[in-house]
Amino acid sequence: MRTKLTQSTPAAALGRILDQLDRELIEASDEDILEAARDLGMNPLMKGSAAFLGLRVPAMAQFADFFDGDALRSVLLERAAQNAAAPQLASKRAARRPKSDRAIERKDSADK
Amino acid sequence: MCSAIAYMPQIPQLADNRVLRPAEVALALNLISRMDFLRLKAIARLHARGLPPDVSWDDLLQEAFTRALVGSRRKPHSVPMVAFLAGIMRSLRTEHWRRVRGGPASCETMRIDHQRDLSRAAELRDPASDIEQSLLASEQIEALERLFAGDLVVLGIIAGLAEGRSAAQIRAAMGISKTDYDSGRKRLRRTLLREGLTCAQN
Repeated sequence: MRTKLTQSTPAAALGRILDQLDRELIEASDEDILEAARDLGMNPLMKGSAAFLGLRVPAMAQFADFFDGDALRSVLLERAAQNAAAPQLASKRAARRPKSDRAIERKDSADK
Repeated sequence: MCSAIAYMPQIPQLADNRVLRPAEVALALNLISRMDFLRLKAIARLHARGLPPDVSWDDLLQEAFTRALVGSRRKPHSVPMVAFLAGIMRSLRTEHWRRVRGGPASCETMRIDHQRDLSRAAELRDPASDIEQSLLASEQIEALERLFAGDLVVLGIIAGLAEGRSAAQIRAAMGISKTDYDSGRKRLRRTLLREGLTCAQN
């Protein structure tokens, strides 16, 4: 007896198949890729290999030629962390605003 | 005698205005390896099956990288980059299918930070687009079957996987040994990779 209902439209079936097949590709090792490429007469280890057809690979100049890739990555990650923290800081500042208004009022009242 | 061209001011070469695309940026930053790039190409080509003609596998791939790079999708530490990007492509495929069906997001251009919760939105479907989508999907299922034509073990494995069966259940249902199952999975993977590494039409 079936324990669960499954959608039977072709689109749903295709979706399920693709979801399963993409796992096969995610788990494929580098060796699997090289073997498949070899079947097609390609060598992905060579510069300008046909395996990269359709993909634009920066062949002439790379970031790494001008910048230290790891250093640049750490800067980007740091910036991303700062950006993530920025809304929290903004909300804290917003929460503090009424206090400063009160401080001004007190200052005004002291003048009087 | 000098020609008039010789006196003409030399036009400087246009500056190289080649802009790096998101996938190239990720590669240049060593976020992925060249092998991962090929793996992702194969995954993108797989997920592009059955999508409307205005969406290519490259669109899926670049969009996935864009979402990862701009941070509209955050990668959990435990998830490998390839699996993370494949997950984004999977959800992009679903979004495009929803758009084709004429769902709530159909009239909108999808933004890179598109994160709207559509779970409560009412869905008005165009029956004609449902038929079109079914036809596209049927064609792609047939194309996948043709890819493994003659290999009954692999076809059985795909059918089993699509039904959500485990490896043991598939083996039991098909009456095959673990060795036959494993070699079938290997053939399946290799054929998918071969298909993914080419640039032929699906």
